[in-house]
Amino acid sequence: MIHLLEDTINGVLMGSIYGLAALGLTLIFGVLKVINFAHGSLLMVGMYAAYWAVLLTGVHPYLALVFVLPLMFAFGYLLQAVVIQPIFKAEREVREPITVIIVTTGVWYILDNLALLVFGPQYRNIQDNPLRGRMIEAGEMLISVPKLWGFCAAVATAALIWLFLQKTRMGRAVRATSLDRDAASLQGINPYKIYNIAFGLGTAVAGVAGVALVPFYNIFPTVGVLFDIKCFIIVVLGGLGSIGGALLGGMIIGVIESVGPQFMTATWTEAIVYGLFLGFLFLRPSGLFGVKYDW
Amino acid sequence: MNASTVTRQPASGRPVLLRWAPLLLLLAFAFALPLVVRSATYLHILILLLLYAYLTTSWNLVGGFAGVLPLGHAAFVGIGAYTSTVLSLQYGLSPWIGMILGGMISTIVGVLIGLPTFKMRGAYFALATIAFAEGLRVMVENLDRLGPFRLNGPRGLQIPPLEVGFGRLMFAEKEPYYYIILTMLVLAVGITWAVSRSKLGYCLAAGGEEPEAAQSLGINVARLKLIAMAISSFLTSLAGTFWAQFTLYIHPKSVMSLDISFEIAFIALIGGRGSIAGPLLGALLLRPVSDFSRIHFGDTLPGLHLVIFGVVLILVMLYQPRGLQEPLTRLYRRGMQRLFGTGEGG
Amino acid sequence: MKIVRILVASIACCGWLLGAAAEAPAQAVVKVGNILPLSGPSASVGLQNKQAQDMAVQEINDAGGIKSLGGAKIQMLYADSESKPEKGVAEAERFINTEKVHILTGAWNSAVSYPVSAVAERYQIPFLVPVSVADKITEQGFKYVFRIAAKDSWWTRDQFAFLKDLQAEFNAKVATLAFVYENGDWGKGFAEGWKKHAQAGGYKVVLDEPYPSTATDLSPVVQKIKRANPDVLLLTSNAADAILLTNTMAEYKVKPKAIVASGGGHADPSYLKAAGKNARYLFDIVEWETDVNKPGAKETNEKFKKLYGYNLTGESVDAYAAMYVLADALERAASTDPRAIRDALAKTRLTKGPAMIVGYDAIEFDESGQNKHAALVMVQVNDLGKGLERITVWPKASRRAGYKPVFPIP
Repeated sequence: MIHLLEDTINGVLMGSIYGLAALGLTLIFGVLKVINFAHGSLLMVGMYAAYWAVLLTGVHPYLALVFVLPLMFAFGYLLQAVVIQPIFKAEREVREPITVIIVTTGVWYILDNLALLVFGPQYRNIQDNPLRGRMIEAGEMLISVPKLWGFCAAVATAALIWLFLQKTRMGRAVRATSLDRDAASLQGINPYKIYNIAFGLGTAVAGVAGVALVPFYNIFPTVGVLFDIKCFIIVVLGGLGSIGGALLGGMIIGVIESVGPQFMTATWTEAIVYGLFLGFLFLRPSGLFGVKYDW
Repeated sequence: MNASTVTRQPASGRPVLLRWAPLLLLLAFAFALPLVVRSATYLHILILLLLYAYLTTSWNLVGGFAGVLPLGHAAFVGIGAYTSTVLSLQYGLSPWIGMILGGMISTIVGVLIGLPTFKMRGAYFALATIAFAEGLRVMVENLDRLGPFRLNGPRGLQIPPLEVGFGRLMFAEKEPYYYIILTMLVLAVGITWAVSRSKLGYCLAAGGEEPEAAQSLGINVARLKLIAMAISSFLTSLAGTFWAQFTLYIHPKSVMSLDISFEIAFIALIGGRGSIAGPLLGALLLRPVSDFSRIHFGDTLPGLHLVIFGVVLILVMLYQPRGLQEPLTRLYRRGMQRLFGTGEGG
Repeated sequence: MKIVRILVASIACCGWLLGAAAEAPAQAVVKVGNILPLSGPSASVGLQNKQAQDMAVQEINDAGGIKSLGGAKIQMLYADSESKPEKGVAEAERFINTEKVHILTGAWNSAVSYPVSAVAERYQIPFLVPVSVADKITEQGFKYVFRIAAKDSWWTRDQFAFLKDLQAEFNAKVATLAFVYENGDWGKGFAEGWKKHAQAGGYKVVLDEPYPSTATDLSPVVQKIKRANPDVLLLTSNAADAILLTNTMAEYKVKPKAIVASGGGHADPSYLKAAGKNARYLFDIVEWETDVNKPGAKETNEKFKKLYGYNLTGESVDAYAAMYVLADALERAASTDPRAIRDALAKTRLTKGPAMIVGYDAIEFDESGQNKHAALVMVQVNDLGKGLERITVWPKASRRAGYKPVFPIP
């Protein structure tokens, strides 16, 4: 029983970090209506940014956020403005331009392999950071401290994004664009600027996830790929475009991955995740919190 | 979708033979190519090019005409490859028979997966197909045996190069492979052409663009999509057997990988999906880019070839979001007009 | 007109591409085609193999090349397989047909080596495999395949022989074992061997757990190990998961009496750096270690370290030695005819020269092409006051002087 609880807690914590990684994806999808296949690569960029920030300045790993956040926002903003926006303009009539998927996949290939060219294939991590290997002992249970902080970061980020979308003028403009691009632009909102901001925000959130992972995770050029498919599953499970859904979806995946292996091999758990995902897709395609009209 | 733009020319009283001449020439060129290209290296690259053109043409029936984006066709490649390989390794069955059986299994699986997924739109459909293909790959990696059949899990199956001959679909030379895949491609293009001109094709195109409108006209869009899916998964599966017999080794990470599914979609979109020439044009551009950049930079600057691949993808999408097929068709038409204009005059 | 121009331009472009590939140098060379995973998930090991081979070839050429061929130089050609069988096959075809290589080497991934060995056999080009440990590679009845590394059944055999000796040395009893391995060709091959040996040795297997090497979180697997509470944990991991597994085990304070790894990820130079003190006391089976008692080993490693910034590994030594095996065969063949090279390779009996930094005394192939002397050593990761290092402990004859292995893990 205690084991089950311990695994569930670990699953929730790790899952919330998956959810954090997926938050950016769901945010971008909610507004732009396209799946960003480069999302894992953005996470990878965020991890490298955090890694170098910590290594070069020697600050506490979480303080790297000060550096990573603006950098990632600018990176995402520019990526959307320079690379993706022209396609939106060219395919104005199409609601979900599939070409954008191809372009983001191109971005994925470029980023991953540029990282390989620049940083080499080695595996890196931050050796002497104060969070490494820190555990809380609660009776017989062990709880990872960096994962716990990751959980807090995920909840805080989700809350902040929610507040931003609900309470600020800009946030309302983002929501308006997400609901109806044409109507929003009639109201004097420049949808392309909103797209840039949404993409920048989504990328910045990937940066937050990167910072949360760096204290206990490896960094290498293809690390994003490991999270890619997971993020897709999570956002669909939670409902594409739903902030809370991404978080909850992440936790569900995390718990399955953590509890499942106690009853079968870890490789079968992987299959269970896909099976559950497909089942969910068939029975409740709009996800946990997805809006019905959105699919 | 401007289906079959290449062939749907206004007749304008030209002799039928002339109208078909360029296509026949192209076909003759393709069949004569191995006589010129003697190098096994380039034949190998050409065979892979044709293989991908074939895969994309098969994909196009769903991804192009039905207006959805399937990203899991590697599953059918895998089913085809495993069915024929397991049957030939364990029971000595000719891969040709295994090929057809694999096609049938793929058809059933394709329809089963299409039933629920075709109700979805856009992103959901794409993600569902990815999850399906990846799920199937993980399953195979977990199964050393499936009933009496030995799948060998993640370790894959090796086809010993013992019996060479047409019946075994195995040859020492490259030329037979070339002609087989070329014939398969011609047949697939023929099927696509027939579909695009049939009621099925028109209704699919209508259903892909305006599903509600088509539905209200009494077209059963879902059923049509399922038919397209059945044909597409059958054809895709045949390529799996070819793949297995050509590389003589299969494992889940190669024949069922996401990379295959993605590359098919890339080729289709770069070429122009929903057109008959699109997959061919896409394969003609992307395969050489990927092969030659890997050959030239793979040793000194590892990874650069994939950067180049990504850049090409982005550039084509930026400047020709509808694929290469559109501007080339325009050029082709103008060329035809000029040719035949003077030809008829003189 | 525009289309004509585009056409001309593209034909010219293709011509350049083809032409550049077909350029042939004037002086006498022996061409070696080397297929390695240089991008993708296994890029790290691909690079290590490449650098070791580069160094060997440089040395051979600087020493005057192949004397029986008039001082012919060895020319290395590299190709990226991206760990994909079909790309490896395409590159093998290109090497043989276009580059006209005299010999093929490499592949690293067993999944690539299988089909490449079939291609080599068909064209009768010798395929010298430094490291792809799957038994099957030399058990296909092929005449043109030669392997330097020990095959996986030998690895598992020696792991269990070590376990037995360890129990005798410390007068301790190991009763229960846990197997944790990556779910791939390599891991599965090892697990099969382990099961066989465990049964024969009367051990109780308390956990038999494959895991996907793309897993993002290995704490569930670590929890399983902890709850199964084995005396000895046997591991087969790639680099990323080896690091993750070691760190997670330290977090959850999982301490079996001994952890025995199978090289690969645990022998990767970045493993010790990234796992740090968590890796202490780990036993790892490899083919070679920097402290091996062989003349020249130290110097070779120093040179390598100066060039590339990290120690040679067992795998890179195999790759390094492979080049000297090749040079030796070429000297004896006195010909660049692949068939003559093959015959010379089959008669190889290399007992001196730089290749002899390997841990055994001769390189010689049996009928199947397997290096029959290939032997393995067990090392322990420990800190003797100069930072973490890998110390050879088994077989006893090779043990570093004055070192006593730490068992069980304190």
